[in-house]
This record gives sequence, C-alpha cells and structure tokens, in this order.
Amino acid sequence: MNGWEQHLAVAPVALPLIVGAIMVTLDEQRAKLKAALGLASILGLLGIAVFLAIRLHVGIGPGIAVYRLGNWPASFGIVLMLDRLSALLLIVTALLGLAAQLYALPRWQRMGAHFHALLQFQLMGLNGAFLTGDLFNLFVFFEVLLAASYGLALHGSGVARVKAGLHYIAVNLAASLLFLIGVSMIYGVAGTLNMADLAARIPQMPAANRPLLEAGAAILGIAFLVKAAAWPLGFWLVPTYAAASPPAAAIFSMMSKVGIYAVARLVLLLFGTGTGASAGFGGTWLVAGGVATIAFGAVSVLATQDLPRLAGANVYISSGTLLAAVGAGQVGVTGGALFYLVSSALAIGAFFLLIELLDRGRDIGADVLAVTLEAYGEGEEEDEEDDAIGVPIPVTMAILGICFLCCALLLAGLPPLSGFIAKFAMLNALLNPAGLGKGPALIPWSGWALLIALFLSGFATILAMTRAGIRNLWATEDGAVPRVRAIEIAPILMLLLVCIGMTVAAGPVMRYMQAAAATLHAPQDYPRQVLGRTR
Amino acid sequence: MHDAIYLLAAVLLPYLGAVVAALLPANARLLAWLAGCVALATLAMVGLGFAAIEAGGLPRFDLAWAPELGLSFSLRMDGFAGLFAFMVSGIGVLIVLYARYYMSPEDPIPRFFAFLLAFMGSMMGVVLSGNLIQLVFFWELTSLFSFLLIGYWQNVAAARNGARMALTVTAGGGLALFAGVLILGHIVGSYELDAVLASGEAIRAHPLYLPALVLILLGAMTKSAQFPFHFWLPHAMAAPTPVSAYLHSATLVKAGIFLMARLWPVLAGTDAWFNILCPVGLITLLLGAYVAIFQHDMKALLAYSTISHLGLITLLLSLNSDLAMVAAVFHTVNHATFKASLFMAAGIIDHETGTRDIRRLSGLNESMPFTARLALVAAAAMAGVPLLNGFISKEMFFSEALTVATATSVLHGILPVAATLASILAVTYSLRFIHGAFFGPPVDDLPKQPHEPPQFMRVPVEVLVFLCIVVGILPSATIGPLLDKAVRALLGDATPSYSLAVWHGFNLPLAMSLVALAGGIALYRLLYRHLNAGLEGTPLLGFLDGRRAFEQVMVFISWRFARALVRLMATDRLQIQLMLMVCTALLAATLALLPHGLAAGDVALTAVDPVVAIIWAVGGACAIAAAYQAKYHRLAALVLLGSTGLATCLTFIWFSAPDLALTQLLVEIVTTVLLLLGLRWMPRRIETAGSGAPLARLRRLRDFVIAAVSGLGLAAISYAMMTRVSPDGISREFLTRAYKEGGGTNVVNVILVDFRGFDTMGEITVLGVVALTVFALLRRFRPAPESVGVPDQQQGDARDWLLVPSVTMRLLFPVIIAVSIYLLLRGHDQPGGGFIAGLMLAVGILVQYMAGGTRWVEDHLRVLPLRWMGFGLLLAVGTGVAATVFGRPFLTSYFAYADLGPLGKLPLASAVIFDLGVFALVFGATVLILIVLAHQSVRSQRAAPPPPPVEALREPAIAGED
Repeated sequence: MNGWEQHLAVAPVALPLIVGAIMVTLDEQRAKLKAALGLASILGLLGIAVFLAIRLHVGIGPGIAVYRLGNWPASFGIVLMLDRLSALLLIVTALLGLAAQLYALPRWQRMGAHFHALLQFQLMGLNGAFLTGDLFNLFVFFEVLLAASYGLALHGSGVARVKAGLHYIAVNLAASLLFLIGVSMIYGVAGTLNMADLAARIPQMPAANRPLLEAGAAILGIAFLVKAAAWPLGFWLVPTYAAASPPAAAIFSMMSKVGIYAVARLVLLLFGTGTGASAGFGGTWLVAGGVATIAFGAVSVLATQDLPRLAGANVYISSGTLLAAVGAGQVGVTGGALFYLVSSALAIGAFFLLIELLDRGRDIGADVLAVTLEAYGEGEEEDEEDDAIGVPIPVTMAILGICFLCCALLLAGLPPLSGFIAKFAMLNALLNPAGLGKGPALIPWSGWALLIALFLSGFATILAMTRAGIRNLWATEDGAVPRVRAIEIAPILMLLLVCIGMTVAAGPVMRYMQAAAATLHAPQDYPRQVLGRTR
Repeated sequence: MHDAIYLLAAVLLPYLGAVVAALLPANARLLAWLAGCVALATLAMVGLGFAAIEAGGLPRFDLAWAPELGLSFSLRMDGFAGLFAFMVSGIGVLIVLYARYYMSPEDPIPRFFAFLLAFMGSMMGVVLSGNLIQLVFFWELTSLFSFLLIGYWQNVAAARNGARMALTVTAGGGLALFAGVLILGHIVGSYELDAVLASGEAIRAHPLYLPALVLILLGAMTKSAQFPFHFWLPHAMAAPTPVSAYLHSATLVKAGIFLMARLWPVLAGTDAWFNILCPVGLITLLLGAYVAIFQHDMKALLAYSTISHLGLITLLLSLNSDLAMVAAVFHTVNHATFKASLFMAAGIIDHETGTRDIRRLSGLNESMPFTARLALVAAAAMAGVPLLNGFISKEMFFSEALTVATATSVLHGILPVAATLASILAVTYSLRFIHGAFFGPPVDDLPKQPHEPPQFMRVPVEVLVFLCIVVGILPSATIGPLLDKAVRALLGDATPSYSLAVWHGFNLPLAMSLVALAGGIALYRLLYRHLNAGLEGTPLLGFLDGRRAFEQVMVFISWRFARALVRLMATDRLQIQLMLMVCTALLAATLALLPHGLAAGDVALTAVDPVVAIIWAVGGACAIAAAYQAKYHRLAALVLLGSTGLATCLTFIWFSAPDLALTQLLVEIVTTVLLLLGLRWMPRRIETAGSGAPLARLRRLRDFVIAAVSGLGLAAISYAMMTRVSPDGISREFLTRAYKEGGGTNVVNVILVDFRGFDTMGEITVLGVVALTVFALLRRFRPAPESVGVPDQQQGDARDWLLVPSVTMRLLFPVIIAVSIYLLLRGHDQPGGGFIAGLMLAVGILVQYMAGGTRWVEDHLRVLPLRWMGFGLLLAVGTGVAATVFGRPFLTSYFAYADLGPLGKLPLASAVIFDLGVFALVFGATVLILIVLAHQSVRSQRAAPPPPPVEALREPAIAGED
C-alpha cells in the first residue's frame, strides 16, 4: 500500500479520536448530531477495516503492512503493524461498535452522560491495541480502552453497575500495574519495545538475561490473562458485564478478546517456532489455563440463573477455548480459533443485546424460577387435554425467538451456524496436526484435553441455553409482548447474519483465517518487514 | 449431471418450503397444499435419483464448502440411502395429508409445517450425506427440529419437558457422534463416506477404534432410543400425533439405525461391536415390550413398542452376520409402515373421541368400523401375524437368533429364548391396543361422540396398511428389488443369498412364531383383569422411572453440583480476587525463574549517599505506614502517601531528571487535593470489635506474608535488572537524535511530543476519558447520609476561615498563569512542556477553589473544561493529521526557525502545537474532575434525597460546567 492508502492504517485510531473529541465539545442537547457523527464514524471504520483486510489478503507479500508514526525508524519510533489478524479484529470491532451504536439510539444513549464519546474512545482503544507494533504503545491503548470501558460499564448508573464497575476498575488497575512491571522488565533486558525488534533480539539474547525476560513475559502474561478473564483471574467479568448496559456489554464482548489477542500476538511472535531457546515458552500453561477456564465457564453456565450472567459465563468458555487453542501452538488450530473468535464475539454481543429485549416483556424473577422450578418440580402437570391447542406467537416474539435460537446454536457450537464450523476447524486441526490425511501424527495430551473440554462445555451450554430459552420464550405466563423497536432488533439480526454468512462462505473465510494464522506462525517475517532487515 | 440436481433438490426443496410456509399467513388449506406439494416433489426427486441407481449409476453432488478442512457439501445416493430417502419423503407426504385434518384450525399452522418440512430436509440431509461431518451437521438439525416440534404446544408443560429431554439426550448424543466421526476422520484421513467405507480394515485395527466406536454408538443409541437412553421417546409423545408418527416412529429414531447400518461394513465384525450392541439391543427389546403392555395411553404404548422394535433392529445389527443385516434393514422398513399407521390410527381415535386412554375407550369398532379394521391389520403386522410384513422380518430374526445361538457364549445362547419372549410380549401389547380400544361394550362417556374421521384423514393409514399387506403376501415382488439394492449398497459382493418368501416350510422359526402368538394371547388373558384395574406404573419395574432419574440427574448436574463447584472455584469478593492476582503473578514469575535462578548482574555499585539513603528510608517508611493506616485512617494514609511521593520526587532530582521531578510534584499536589475533596464524602469507617478475632488475625498475617514476599520478590528482580549492563537499546538513539532531528534539547519532551507522540496522544485521551467518567459517575452521586452534614468550617460565615491564605492565593493566580505559559513555551528545550504546564494552570484554578469556595469562583470565572478537553484533543490529533496532508506519516513533525527580523529567530516545531493540545487537555480534564468534586458540596447542601432507584435516570442532571 502506498500513496494515500498507507495512511488508512492510522485511520482506525485517528477517526474515532477526532469524532470523540468533537463530541466532547458538543452540548448534551445535541444528541442527534452526536448520534449521526458516531454512526458515520463507525461506518467509516467498518469500511476502512474491510478495505484494509481485502488489500492485505489479496496483495502479494507476507501480508504485513508497517506504518511508521512520526516517520521515525522502527526500532525507536512507534510503528503500527497491520496484518490479517489486526484487520480482521478491526472489522469485528467495527461490527460490534455499529451494533452497540444502533441499539443505543432509542433509549440507552440518554441514560447517562457522554455515551457517544465514550463509545468512540472505546473503539479507538480497541483499534489501537490491535494495530500497534510497540509494547508500550499497547499499554497505552489498553489504558485508553479500559478508561473508556470504565465509563461505559458505569453508563446508566445504579447500585449494581457502580458496585460491579468499581470492582472492575480496581482489578484492572492492578492488572495494569502488572503490565507495566512486565513491560519494563522486558525493556530492561532487551533494550527495545518494538515487538518485531524484540522478536529479532530474543533469539540472540545472552543466557544470563533469559530468566528475567521470561519472568517479565510471565508477569505480562498474567496481566493479559486478567483482561481475558482466565480462571482464576476473571471473576470480575460476569458481574461487570451482566450489570453493564446492553450496548456496553456488546462492545465488551470484544474487549475480553483483547487480552487473548495480546497473548496470541506476543506468544507467537516472541516465543513461536524458531525463536531460539525460549521457543514454546508458556504454551503448556496456556493450554492448562484455557482448559481450566473452559471448565469453570461450563460450570458457571450451568449454575447461572439469569440471562445476563449466563451470557457473561459464556465469555469464560469463549476465552478459555481461545487461550487453549493459542497455547496448542499449531497453525491449523490457530486458524480455527480465529474463526471461533469472530463467531463467538459476534454471538455474545448479539446475545447481550437480545437479553434486554427479552427482559422487557417478562416479569422479574422468571429466570430465577427456571432453575428453582427444576429443583423442586414444576408443580403438577397441567391438564393437557384442554390445553393442546397451540398459541400463535406474535411476530416480535417469533423474531426474538429465532434470534435466541441462533445465539444458542452459535454459543453451543451446534449446526448449522458458524459456531459449529469454528469448533470443527479447531478439532480437525487438533486431531490432524499435519493436516487431514497427511500421515499419522501423535496427538499431544493437550489436544485431547482441549477436545474433551470443548465437547463438555458445548453440552453444558446446550443444557443451560435450552433451560433459559424454554423458560423465557415458551413458558411465559402472561404472554406480554415486549415493546421493541425495529432499530433495536436490527443490530442483533445484523450480527447474526454475519455469522450465517460465515457459515455459507466457510471456505473463503477459513482461507483468510488460515492465512492470518500462517502469518502469525512465521514470526521471522515481522522483523524483516518492520525493521527492513533480516535478523 | 441431472442426478446431482435431483439430489440437491431433494434436500433443498423441503427447506425452501419451510421458509415459504413460515412466511405465509395461517391458512391451513393453503399451507397443507404447499407442504404436500413440496413433499411430493421431494419424493419425485428421490424417485428420479433412484432411477439412476437402477440404471447402474451412483448419483452424487459435490460442492466445495471448506475444502481446506476436508469439509465438502456432498450428497450421494446409493441403494441404502435411497431406501431411507423413500421412507422419509414417502411417509412425509402421507403425514402432511394427515396433519391437514389432524391439526386444529386454531393451531398456528405455519410454524408447524415449517418445522415439519425443515425436519424432512434435515432427515434427507442425513441419509444422503456423502461426508460424515455433513452428516453430523444434519443430524444435529434433526434433533433441533424434533425439539421444536415436540415443544410445538409450548403452553403445555409436558411438551416443554419432553422437548427438553429429547434435545438433551439426542443433542448430547450428537456431540458424541461428532467426536467419534472426528476420530474416524483422523484414522482414515478423510471425512468422505466413500473413503471411510473403503478403509474398514484400517479402522478396526487402529488403536483409536474403540473410542471412535463407543462415541459413534453413543450417538446412534441416543437417537434410536436404546437402553439406557430410551426414556426420552415416551415423553416426546407430547408432540402432535403427526409428529409422533413421522419423527418418533418412522424417521428420526431410525437415524441411529441408519448410521449403524451405514457404518456396519467398517465398524462391525469385532467382539467390541457385538459386546456393546447385543446387550443393549436385547435389554431394549425386552424392556420396551414389557413396559408397553402396561401403558394406558395409546401413544405411550406405541412409543414403548417402538423402543422394543428399535432394540430388535439393533440386536440384529449387533450379530455381525450378513443375513441379520438384511433382516435389520427389512424390519426397519416394515416397522416404519405399520408403526406410522398405528400412530395415525391412535391420532384419529384421539381426534374423534377426545381421549387416548385405553381404560376409558371401548367398543369403538361400532362407531368407527373402518378405522378399526385398519388398526387391526397394522397391529397384527406389529404382532407378527403371518401374511403381513412384520411376520416375515420377525421370522428372519428368529432364524438368525437360532443360527448364532450355536456359538458358545451365554449371550448368544439365550437369544432364541429372548426372541420368543419378546414376541410373546409384542403380541400381548398389540392385543391390548386393539382389544382395549375397539372391542368390548361401547361407552358413551367420552369427551366427544366418536365417529369415523374425514375420508382423507384415513387415506394415509390406508396406504400404509395396504403396503403392510402387499409386502406381507408378495415380499419379493414388492419390496424385493428395493431391499436388494439397499443391501447390496451395504454389503457389496458379500451380500448373502436370502429368500423373502412367506413360507419356508415347518421349521423352528415358524414354531417360535406360533408359540409367540399363543403365548401372547394367553398372557393378555392372564393380565386382562390387572390391566383393566387401571393401575399406573409397570409391575416389577415401577422403580425404573426414566423421567424422574433424568430430572434428578439434571438437577444435580445443573444445580447442586454446578453451584457447589462455582462456589468452590469463584468468588465475588474483590479482596480475594486481588489476592489471587498477586499470587498468580508471583507464581508465574517464580516458575519462570526457577529453572535458571535469579542472579544479580555485575555492574559496580556506587557508594551510598547518606542523604539519599535517609530520603529513601523515610519514603519507604511512609509507604508502609500508609498501607498500614489505609483501612481506618484514610487521611493519615493520604498524607503519608504524599510523603512517599515527595521522596520519589527528590529521587528524580538527585538523578538529574528535572522534568520527571516537576511532573511528579504537580501530580502529587493535584491528586492529593482531589483525593482530599473526595475523602470528604466517604462514609466513616469505625474499627469494629471483631477485628481482633483469631481468624481475622490469621487472615491479615496471610495477607502480610503475600505482600512481603511479592514486594521482596519485585525488589530482587529490580536489583537484578539494575545491576545488569543495559543492552544496547533504543535509548541511545533518543539522545543522539533529539536535537538533530527532533529540534529540541529537552530529550524527555522530544520523546513525549515527537518520538513517542503517539503514546502521548493515547495517554491524554486516557486522562480525558477518565475525567469524563468521573463526571458521568459523580453527577449522579449521592453521598452516604452520615457524610451529608455540613462541616463546622462551612457553617455561618465561611469567609472568616483562611482569610489571609485566601487573599494570597487570589493574588497568586496571575503569577501561576504566567508560570504555566512559560513552562509550556520553553518545554521543547528546557524542563517544562504541555503536561506540566497544564497541571500548573489547573493548580491555579484549584487554589482559587480552595481560597474562595465553589460559588465564589464560579461567580467570577467561567471555565469550560469540556471545551478545553475537546480542543486539546483535536489540536493534538490535528497535528498528526496535518502531516498526512503533506504525504508524511501521521504525527511527523515539522521543524524550522522563523526569522522575525530584528527580534531574532524563533524556533518553530509542529510538535509545539501538539504540546499545546496536551496542555489544553490536561488542564481541561483536571479542572473537570475538580469541578464535579467541588459541586458535591453545593449540591448536597441543597438536598440530600434518599438513594435513587436504579432506573430513575431521566431527571435533569447538574452539569459540571456552564
């Protein structure tokens, strides 16, 4: 990319910043203008992200574009490092941002101050984190996205939000501290913050400095695992996400993926194949932590009564799956995991939005009943002979029901939606490390552990989603239909349609994911592109 | 080519029909026509495809889906798939016709037909799949649509429970099947059915054969309701009867049989296959038949009888004999015909009398004679009466049981006895079904006056019963060719010679049949009184309540167990979460260091300077003291924290870092003041008496140990870092390039605004966002009741307090402004810069608030912090964007000297504009926080309302500005 196109790499950061800054100066009364600005900005982000992804994917070369900020050479200036993975995550972020923005229009934007600006800054932080090729700059963007998320988590106020939000802030501030410790240790022994430069330096690092490097990386990893809500570091997630306003929760479903992204990026770049004595560092721990997180997620999904917490518990499963898949360290598994990441982020986002719509038509405490009724029996069977006439479902409920069904299928990884393809792609790669039919290969224990964890968590999700769905959609006593605006259902449908599209176009999409994974698994390409020299 | 289109159409047409049906208005006749036409067209497509097989071809359709994953959308139809496709589409046509009359006009028909057609498409997908993953794909879809159809009458609790149970069991089994197929694909190296079928030897010899087998059989057994997973089927009878007839007798439950037969050539033939399936099939066969006798609901009786027959087919498949395989396929078809017709007959009775309870029904032979004849024939086929199709396949079963009984094992040996026993029971429940409903004295206390159903409602039953008779009398002429194609597709050259004749002469199987008939009649007479007593439950097996067991397991798993585990694994308490984080980080660092150990570097240490040592000792002591006091004495802790900050500040000076020292100093001042303002509203904490309890002491000791170990560990790591020679990193570049290329002699400032200006841009955004968040949070803040009271200093005339300081502070204001501007302008070359200057100016405002109070300041001075913030951000990012206009990367700085003639040269760097943005943002954000905090005192004096309800969000807010 050259000419004006090259500057598009920085647009995903600059555009929301500019729009957000303009919004800050506007008065509270200019809500319509703010909404229009926000919408335009997000649509622009989506267009830019898609454009970047296409350019990278069909272009020649290793699929890594470098943007040198301030025109300074890479090692000491900051660079943006755009590869297929970054572009993909930019698209997903923009999609979720668009959904949140649309959903907030009728109601939620008025529930507190500066919603639109905070959303823009949130997008800026996410995009920056996905784009940057500099470790300290990553910290900065983590702070941007966290600061914005503090605001969004508290958006709408209320006791539950403030309580959960303050816990969330405390935990994340502590994690940021760990981040700083880790970064400074790595900088102290490597003398650089540029990720590609680090990748070039680590293989040649003297053995005496290696323990400090690895300890720094381990502490840094803990910081990321906190953000990714890995067990036992992620107990903040469910209360925060469940209490957050739906649009905020929808965008948060991408935020928990940032920790995963950072782990994947750094583990594969710094400790990937062919990176010298430290190669493979932490992989086993990631698989173990991931499987533990999946197990915890599966158990919480089962033990959860209300829908928002159920959605939150699903994030654990998603995070654990991705962590373990990254830890497996196989190209194919990573490719499948990227597919899974997109599918589960969109599904969870859609689910958070859907929950509130369902909530509106329902008497409080219905899902508390879902489990307790099960525990104590559902009274006596009703007299069926009188009742065996179907009740027509109002159109609104039918659409909500279909959306719920789609979310459940996506989250449980059942056919026919992309959740199934994603799971299959990962499992296929786990069982056939060399490729399907490419000769017998030994499947490591971690592969089996992940396989079992995936199946059991899928089953747990089916149980929980069926229970919740029946209770919320079928067993409604009064049959009150929630008052829902089309603009509130539209974003949910949009997210689900993307998932359906990913199923139909599984071939091309999967090729993109595999190419992205292949780039990630060739860490030697990054120094060549970023520093302009071979290591 | 044409064949491919037939196959594709056979799968897609039902789905298309489903979509159209879902969108149509609730017009029963129109929908039934649509569904009927779709089903007929599907049947025609199957017929066309089968014609191609007759012509010796193997119709297939392939479409690359995700070829990299070995996933293709491939359909293939051989004789076996064709036979099943005929069953699915053919019975589908009849069911649609039947449902047209069965469903009530008030029922929401579009949903029903949409689900039914979608199920048909999924089932076609299962039987026609040429790829095993794709088979799993459609397999789970059949479970899903079965769930939706069982739960069609969602307002009925039994329907919801039955649907959920069915989905749990079958979808769970589907997951097992998925896993098994993945392992199979791993063994074979392909998921294509053709490839799998060609590698039977390799599969059976592979070490992973057993896990794959068990998983695949789990899938098949759950779907086909084999013991111990059979319990979902009777509860699925809560579905409308057409659904029961279609899904739960003819097609869905046969999917498991289909799968076992489909993979029979590669998976069967081993001891494991026999040892798993034979006991399961046997128990299912006997248990189902026995329990069926004691059911009072006609549909429940048929459901258990279905379970029994499925067990029979499984048993046949388990025998590892080619002839048994033939019998299994044959019986599958026969069972589908007679059982679907019986279900429909039961539905007719239910429809026309209002009840399905055999205890209430009697003598329907008089009011609905034609239906009675049809049901009689179908039930006779079920019981295995000669000249009907059920008889022939049962005879084959008997002869197979006798053949394998020659083997030495006990399991083999008891088969003939068991087969006869099962047949006796089958005759008994068939008799009960017919005799109970149609014979005996007519009753007149039924919910509806019984009469014959509409003529077309009976047609499907008539067709099926006709098939029972024709196949029963002329098997080779009717089903023969079809069966032959199916069996050959499975067994290939190994297809045994078999005879489909009705009459095989007087032999042992015939004797067994006769014994079964006689025994069944005798048993029915024996049990007649007991059955009519109307007792609920099954004698001897009353304790085996599948539903209760299922629900108990579910409650245990998803409630008690899961909740207990979550309580064990998780916490909602912040303290524990933070402790876990610290401990995990400690553990991670320790584990990373363990293999190599942590050694100090070899840099020579400088001599200890006593002054610095004292400063550090004081700073450290203050930090520890602050932590010690933080819980109950916040003010003291805050003051101590400030002292630590000052020690840090002095350290920076000692290390010749004036920029850092200046920043640190200002940050200390601003944060301390803001924290003090916040502290005012915190509820008081009173040391409670219980805090000295042994447990609490122990907990604090634990926390102390963790803190001490972590702190010492971090200190050790820092020591090891700092005693190492710094690597040849980027820091040298900063020093050499700062003036030459960055145009400034203050390296720190050049780093901030130029080299790493992007970081700074992010950081000021963080500051701005935090200010916005504080604003958003605090404008809704209501302090705790005990903090609302106005302090002494603010009561009465406040001006008496701080009179001298306040005058001084006001006088200082212009000075502070001047210093701030000075710091901003010199920043690029001398200590200073936008961040410091912004803080400085904010301190100026802050001082005014302290001196004059909120009201006084705001009467005299209007600061619009949001404008400052927005302006600052725009300035900073605008500098970046400006570079791109000139074709340079974002944030590229421009540097020149402006010649001002006699005034000399003024250094001009675009970075200065960036710094101005930083200045504006820092000032705006700090002041915004200050204002919202200060406004608390104004607000809470006005009113201290009770805490607002969660959703009371729309009241006008008190703006922090204007």
